[in-house]
Parts: sequence; structure tokens; C-alpha cells
Amino acid sequence: MAAQREHQAAGPGPARQVRPRWSASAHARRLIALALAGLIIALITRRPEFAGVAAPAVLLLAARRPERPGQVGVSVRTSATRLSEGERADLAVTVTGYGDHSVGLMMHPRYAVVPEPGPPSGGESRLPFRVDRWGRRSLGVLEITLRDRWRLTEGHATVDLPTVDCYPRPAAQRTRVVLSRLPSRLGEHASRSPGDGVEFTGVREFVPGDRQRRVNWPATTRRGRLQLNTFAAERTQNVVVLADTSSDVGEPGSTPADFAVRGSAAAARAYLAVRDRVGLVIYEHSVRWLAPGLGARHYYRIMDLMLANPGLADVRSREAGITRLPRAGLPPGSLILVFSPLLDRGLVETLRDLRERGFSVLIIDVLNAEPSDRRDSLSALARRIWRMEQQAIRFSLRELGIPLVHWDGEQSLDEPLAPYTRRVMVSRR
Amino acid sequence: MTIGPQARAAAAAGLLAAACVAWSASPLSGTGGVFLAVAVVCAALSVVRLALGAVPGEPLVYLNPVLRAGRVAAAHVRGTPWAEGLVIAALVLEALHRSRPWHTGLLGAALLAYLLAVHLAESRARLAVLRPQVPLLAAGLGLLVVAVGAAMLPAVTGSAADLMAILAAVAAVAVGGLALQQP
Repeated sequence: MAAQREHQAAGPGPARQVRPRWSASAHARRLIALALAGLIIALITRRPEFAGVAAPAVLLLAARRPERPGQVGVSVRTSATRLSEGERADLAVTVTGYGDHSVGLMMHPRYAVVPEPGPPSGGESRLPFRVDRWGRRSLGVLEITLRDRWRLTEGHATVDLPTVDCYPRPAAQRTRVVLSRLPSRLGEHASRSPGDGVEFTGVREFVPGDRQRRVNWPATTRRGRLQLNTFAAERTQNVVVLADTSSDVGEPGSTPADFAVRGSAAAARAYLAVRDRVGLVIYEHSVRWLAPGLGARHYYRIMDLMLANPGLADVRSREAGITRLPRAGLPPGSLILVFSPLLDRGLVETLRDLRERGFSVLIIDVLNAEPSDRRDSLSALARRIWRMEQQAIRFSLRELGIPLVHWDGEQSLDEPLAPYTRRVMVSRR
Repeated sequence: MTIGPQARAAAAAGLLAAACVAWSASPLSGTGGVFLAVAVVCAALSVVRLALGAVPGEPLVYLNPVLRAGRVAAAHVRGTPWAEGLVIAALVLEALHRSRPWHTGLLGAALLAYLLAVHLAESRARLAVLRPQVPLLAAGLGLLVVAVGAAMLPAVTGSAADLMAILAAVAAVAVGGLALQQP
């Protein structure tokens, strides 16, 4: 679908000169057809009323045309170069040097780019659009149509539109999985060891050197000796999100790869919000990773890595024989959240290897597609075998002590993760 | 729900097309069946063409065969000049009847309005863009009234009729020349 607007732009960008191709408009061709048909029939039938039918068209065609501009200046810029899926942005277009002609703009969008309706106005224009699927997206082509005041000649020019980065829309996630053993670094998760946090853990007897403000006076009164409140230490944790985007099966926009990146974005956002260090490993035709870091800027590094920006990450090709995920991207004691449909045997072996290396792994299964349902018996048998293989893979991973939950890609991530977010996840080595 | 100017222009074009076909065909004669069929098809597909709008940007290679065939058919509908076909078929249908000048004059005005509505619908422009053409359109309609009035006068024979034929021929040549002038 294409959109056409004639309305106000926010401001000029760098202008470039384009040369329109001029031709008779479809309106002019239709008027010529009316005039010629009327006059020829008048001539053949000798009926002057048909010549009268042709008269308005002849007069319009005989009107003097204004001088056509040889080239026009066009500047195009987007209101945002980074978007989330479904987020609306504007394309500001300014056309100059078109003289007495009117300017029409039509956006021919590329895949996943959807023009949206907007308020119309004058010579400068603002074309609203949204991008429906994550990735680095070219917006398409802008067609500029110049029309004279009689609408009889048209000049057409096309301009390539810029690309935008469309980040995956993070799924909803408010709760977090926290490991029982956390590294000794100040954070926001209550750990098992006593410390200076705010979460109350118990009461013990006062020893010299303790802070007097923590004396528990009711307990002291009951026992007759000074008693002290104790609190849990607050620690941070390292989280590595592994997004398996190697399987792109199913409906576009609802493939396991889509769910994997949306879930990964949600997890990264949720853990970075509590000042955890979050790293990312993208598993597809190559393995790309980003070492754990923290802060809002790191979130955008993670998003950029998802959009396959090779300049930001270390890359290792799986064809080079990689059997283990890189040590640099996996700090010891990390929680590893794996968003995967588990269709890649290599990844399943990698997960087993991670478990054997002592990492705490939690798999979020994002497989929501099955082989096509044909009605012949052979296909049904193949489908049954495929399902049994999938069940076997999941069973073997659970047997290794790797918890596995299924996520349908639509609901909040809190629901499948609930058994692991209500209490700390015991890390076993 | 609000109806935009493009939808209004497309609806007006459809109504005018139906009116032109019905007006030029009535009363239906035996010889006009083929032209009536052509006019009806052209009228229907010209409205379909307006409803289809611009060419979608999605590449055909990603579509299933049914959708791909639909897109190809839509491209053919978009690329064929149905409005021109309707104009010619309606005028031929009118010419097949005996002379009825006022009837033909109204048909001419309706065909002109139909072409303007089609242009507004396909260029997604507002009615105001036709304002510069109003004097020329008024002059043309005046000429149409004059021609209809001339046709309603008692039939002329001999040199007057030949003069009228020569004038029509000269006008046809002039229109042909104007058509060639178009870039």
C-alpha cells in the first residue's frame, strides 16, 4: 500500500537535485480520447452535437502550459533513525524549485514499512510511517510528481529513502530470575550472606564494633542482652542472554527468531534496570557476542548487536568449527537465559557443554511452529517422529538439570518464569 | 467513520460512469449490445482500478501463487485505460441512436464530469485543484450548448452541412496536433 500526502515538513535536511521525467498525464490522455472520439463521430455521422461534446476537452488541451522546471531540490530526513517495532515516525520531505507546479508525494515502502495516514497541508510534507518488524530497514522509494495547473503534464522523479534501525519490541517482563550465589559486587539483589542491605534476615547478639542504630530494642528487652538486626547483603549478578535466531520458521513476525529477540530485549531491559551486568550472545550462521556491561548505553549496544551490526561485537563463524561458546562472553557464575526453539542440534550440544562447565542455564523455549499438516499418512508419521525428537531433546536437557519453560511469544515473560522468580534459583556446579 | 476526498471522488466516478452508460444506452437497440457490454466492463473496471490505488511495494517473490496471480491481475487492471474505453463506447452507443442533441449534450457533460472525478480520485487531489480550469470548462460547456442548439435547428443541407463537416475535420486535426505536442 502506498500513501500520498501533501503537507507540512518540520525543517530542511541536505537537499539534492533530481531531474524529473516529463510526460502527458493520464488525465490529458483521457481528454484526448474524448475529444478525438467526439470529433470523429461528428465527422462520420454529420451530427454537430458530438463536436460540442469534444469542445471542453479541446479547450483544455489547447491551454498554455507553464514552463517546466528542469530539476527540483529534494531534502528528506526522518524524525527518528532508531525505532521500536510498531512505533510511529515521520519522514520530512522538502521540495524546492518546482515553480507554479503542484507537488504530490507518494511513498513506495519496502518490506515491513507501513505508511500511515496523517493531516494534509502544503508544499513541504510530513509522511508518517511505522515499521512492523525488527531489523535494519530501508524505507523504500519516494515518488515525486509535479503537475501543471491544468493537470495535463506530469514530471516524475524518484528518491531513495534512508534506512532506519527498528529494534525488537521488548516483551513484558517485571520479575527476574536471581541466582543463589552472586558475585561480590554491590547491586540490588538480596544475597544469602549478611551485609548492609535493606532486607531483614534475622536477629543476633551484639558484639563490639556493631553499629548501635541496628540494635533491636524489643528483643534486647525480652532477652536482657543487646540484640542486633541483621540484613542481607545486596549483590549484582551477571546475566548472559543467548538469542538463537538460526531458525526463522513460521509466519513472518511470529517466527522463533522474532520471539527470541523480543524475549532477549525484554530480559536485557529488565536486568539492566536493576543494575545487573548483561551480556548477549547471538547464535545464528555465526556466533556474535557482547561481553556483560551495565547502563542504558549498554542496552542500545545490545539492540545494535541484534540488528547485526558487526562493528560492535566479536564474531566467530560457526562454520569454523566452534563447539563451545566463547569464554570472553561468559563470566564465571553467570545466569544464562537461552531463548531458542531448540531446532539446531549444535546449540543443544552447546547448552550441554555450558551445563557441564557449571553455568546456571535457563531455557525459554520459543518454538511455536510445526511442520505443515498434510493429510497423507507418511507426512503424519514424519510429524509424529519430529514431535518425539523434540520431546526427547527437551527431556534430555531437563535430565541434565537445565530448567526449560515454554513461552508463546505473546504473553508476559513473567508467567512462564514464575516458578523461578518466586525464589532464588539454586546454582549447582 | 469518515470518508476521505479520494473515496468520495471514486464513488462519484462510479456513479457518473453508471449514469453515462445507462444514459447513452437507453433506449437499448439491437445493434448496441456489444458496445453496451464493453461500456459496462470498462465502467466497472475503471472503478476497480481506482479502488486498487497505487502499486504495492511488496515484492511478488514472497507471495503465495494465489496472491501473486491476484497481484498480476491487479497490475493489468491498473495498466489498462478503462476510462478511455468507457468514453469511446458511450459515444458510439449514443451515435447508434437517432439524432437527439440535448440528450447527447447531457452525455458530453456527464462524460467530462466523469473524467474529472477519475482524475481527482487517482491523483488523490482535492476539488480545489480544478479551480484554474473553471473558465475553460465554462467556455467549453458554452460551446457544447451552442453545438446542441445548432443541431436542434432544422436540418441544413448543401454547403452549410459541408462547412460544418470541414470545421469538424479541422478541429480533429487540431486535437491530433495537440496530442502529438504532449511530451
